Amino acid sequence: MELEDLKNAWEAINQQANKQQKLNPKMIEQMIKISYNSRIKKIAYPEMFGIMICVAGAAFILFSYNRLDTIFLKTTGIVSILLLFTLSAISLVSLRQLRLTGDVSKPYADTLKKFALKKIRFFKLQRLNFTLSYILLVTIIILFTKFFNEKDITANKYFWTFSFSFGYLFVLFYSKWVNRYYKNTMRQTEELLKELIP
Amino acid sequence: MEVFVDKKELFITAISNNEGLIYKIATIYTNDVEDKHDLVQEIIYQLWKSFDSFNQKSSISTWMYRVAMNVAIQHLKIVKRKILTIPMDGLSLNFAEENNTDIKEKLQIFRHHLNKLNLLDKGIVMLYLENKSYEEISQIIGISESNVGTRIARIKEKLKKQITK
Repeated sequence: MELEDLKNAWEAINQQANKQQKLNPKMIEQMIKISYNSRIKKIAYPEMFGIMICVAGAAFILFSYNRLDTIFLKTTGIVSILLLFTLSAISLVSLRQLRLTGDVSKPYADTLKKFALKKIRFFKLQRLNFTLSYILLVTIIILFTKFFNEKDITANKYFWTFSFSFGYLFVLFYSKWVNRYYKNTMRQTEELLKELIP
Repeated sequence: MEVFVDKKELFITAISNNEGLIYKIATIYTNDVEDKHDLVQEIIYQLWKSFDSFNQKSSISTWMYRVAMNVAIQHLKIVKRKILTIPMDGLSLNFAEENNTDIKEKLQIFRHHLNKLNLLDKGIVMLYLENKSYEEISQIIGISESNVGTRIARIKEKLKKQITK
């Protein structure tokens, strides 16, 4: 389609749309109030819930720390606690960044640059998040079999074989899937950035 | 004697006089009706919030285009998350084009072609379709006038290639 054809199509759409006035002062006033109120009510439920779970998990491990009787288990406990806090922090930071509204009076190209950089940062954080989540999964399995079965699962030779081989395959396939999903979007975003930053 | 004009009244007048541009931007930057409604609301809210920053260095409509397009970008969620919006009591935006099959089809074709452009080109095309001068496009987008001309030429090529593929 030529750009001029698009222009004709656009004008035809506009002529129809302009026949009807859609906004009146009362609606405009309501819109201003509604958006303000929805921001106040927009408490980050998913993040809060996730963070609560992580904090509860970290507290439980701390509380039960004395039951970890080997250096390996104690180290696993500390790593788990650190991962729980790190993952919560990453989620909170990345999602807050998405919500922040910048200066909307700036030129459009500046907003686009910021948006593209945010997007790339977010995807990188997601990848890190995934890797750390897998490590956390392994540490939690080790700890919880100790806490609830009083068994040290790491003494079982199959544990290491299974968790590393399965883990490796899982990470491999999942990261391929994630990369395929994000690849296109990342590429387009990076290309856009190249056009915006000379 | 100074006359103090109510800020809200000024704002409402500005919106009423320029509501068309808000809908057009919402149409181009969204793909469904619900999203469009949300974006219209969001644009009006952000325009109100930044109304004090309008310094009259440009026309009100140029300023509104800039704000509205920036809001549209920020509205694009990197991760799809439902924003909590509250339906307006007893009032609803009824877009004529949503109920007209002919316009709906034209819109679909229109969006199909525009969605293949990157966000920068999309913004430039929209302003071009709105018969904005290169100077105005340059002010809104924040690139030089010559860059605007170059980009429009490239966009025309891109669109031609799209149809021949």
